[in-house]
Amino acid sequence: MISFRRPSEQASAVVLALVEEPAAWRYGYEPCQRLDLRAGSLYPALMQLADRGLLETAWESDVPADRLPRHLYRLTGPGRVLAGRLAAEPPARPTPARATGRLRRRPRLEGT
Amino acid sequence: MNRTRRLGLVGGLAAVAVAATPFACLWADLARDAEPPPTNVVVDIAIWTAVFGTPAMLAAWLLWRAWWRQAGPGLSGMDGPGWLLAVARAALPADRREWGAAMAAELAQAEGGAPRWRFAAGCARAAAFPGGNRAAVGVAVALAVAAVAAAALVTGAALPAGRVFALTFVGLLGGLATLAVARWRRLGWTAPGPALTGLALAGVAACLGITVYYLAEHPSYDRAGHAVAVSLPPVTAMVLAVALAGCLGLALRPPRWLRPDPKARWFGIAMAVALVGGFLLDARLVQPDRDPGSHGMMGYLFNGPLLVILPGSALAAAVGRSLRAGLWACAWAVALAAPLLITAWLAEALHWDQVGRGAVLDGAGPMGVGANLGDAVWWLLIFLALWAIPLGVLGAAAGSWRARRRRSRQQARLAPTA
Repeated sequence: MISFRRPSEQASAVVLALVEEPAAWRYGYEPCQRLDLRAGSLYPALMQLADRGLLETAWESDVPADRLPRHLYRLTGPGRVLAGRLAAEPPARPTPARATGRLRRRPRLEGT
Repeated sequence: MNRTRRLGLVGGLAAVAVAATPFACLWADLARDAEPPPTNVVVDIAIWTAVFGTPAMLAAWLLWRAWWRQAGPGLSGMDGPGWLLAVARAALPADRREWGAAMAAELAQAEGGAPRWRFAAGCARAAAFPGGNRAAVGVAVALAVAAVAAAALVTGAALPAGRVFALTFVGLLGGLATLAVARWRRLGWTAPGPALTGLALAGVAACLGITVYYLAEHPSYDRAGHAVAVSLPPVTAMVLAVALAGCLGLALRPPRWLRPDPKARWFGIAMAVALVGGFLLDARLVQPDRDPGSHGMMGYLFNGPLLVILPGSALAAAVGRSLRAGLWACAWAVALAAPLLITAWLAEALHWDQVGRGAVLDGAGPMGVGANLGDAVWWLLIFLALWAIPLGVLGAAAGSWRARRRRSRQQARLAPTA
């Protein structure tokens, strides 16, 4: 069952970043750099979204021999619906998570 | 010598040094207490310490070698962040393993020392707490705090001598439950089978029961010529609480690497029952024929593991055709036997006290029966950790020798054609 409860601040940021190109598969390190999000916050957020059916995952298929296949992510249909709702909401008030620097920058939302 | 072999050798020597440390401390402690300390007594102690430390050092070397043979080629090519991430991946729950592989693949994208360390440290944090249900974690923490407060109130009113033990035990159980809720996506039942779980629960319950009885009836004891001593000092209470909480945790939710081998579990159950049965038989049938005050169960602590754990682990490894099967059987045997042996020791101590045989450890007396509580906890845990487990490792290595030889022959035959 898909849950539309508001996810954590980190997960919301990841959803909004992924919806910029909803059909494209993204790598894990990419949101880390773009959102200035630490891996310790990113992966629990990705896991939370995948558990809730909001995120689709896959493994890279054409991989050079000298490296491991990377994990790919993109939003599912319900994930995109949630992204729309999150984008329509007024920006959340600063929380201790942002104040402590776990999420230091809001994602760029092109076209919104 | 290549990097893998060099690191393997260094790691093996470090493992041996770690295994030797408790014995070196024991030797230093005994040599210091020898009064007067003539050289031959000190040398005597050193020889005995070396004899009993040798299985532990050999076991550490064998375990390291077996592990490094599998993991070494992969790990030796990694840098520090890679090692950290490998450890973090190993700690992930079974239903999150795919995420560990995802993190490892992404580490290659982080360039430079600081970004790599930052990424690996973040992944380690995510692996330790991979995102459970926050509300459930909050409920678990609240319940744990309430349980600790209740334990403090109850022991303060009814069992003051057991306060440290109760607080530590309940606090550890609350911590383990919170960790389980925080780490696992679904709290499914992963107990290792009804027989093993039932025996472990019975052992822990019996041990708790008899400890409470001792704390209520014999909270302190007289030491001839010295001040009255408490039966369960704070450090001993904490050690007992850690051991019992650990047994309970293993029985209810063992780590995933300990679960899959049912034969090893049955060997573990059989060895634990044999070890406890042997203890009771020795205490009831053999010791009464000896002079009172001259013997105790110290001899059994040496001989029991030699007669039960060493051959039992060897047999488990031979039947399971792997070192791992013998190791898991030994691990289960020790985890199951610890609470049962403490219970048997304390129950026998009451009987020995009635017939005037002194302390169970060495027959020394007259001393209050409460002295047995500390003896049982320390001596049993020391012997199980430093004597029984190393013997189990050696047994497992001996039992799996033929299977390992057969495998290496097959690999050698396949190598030229590959």
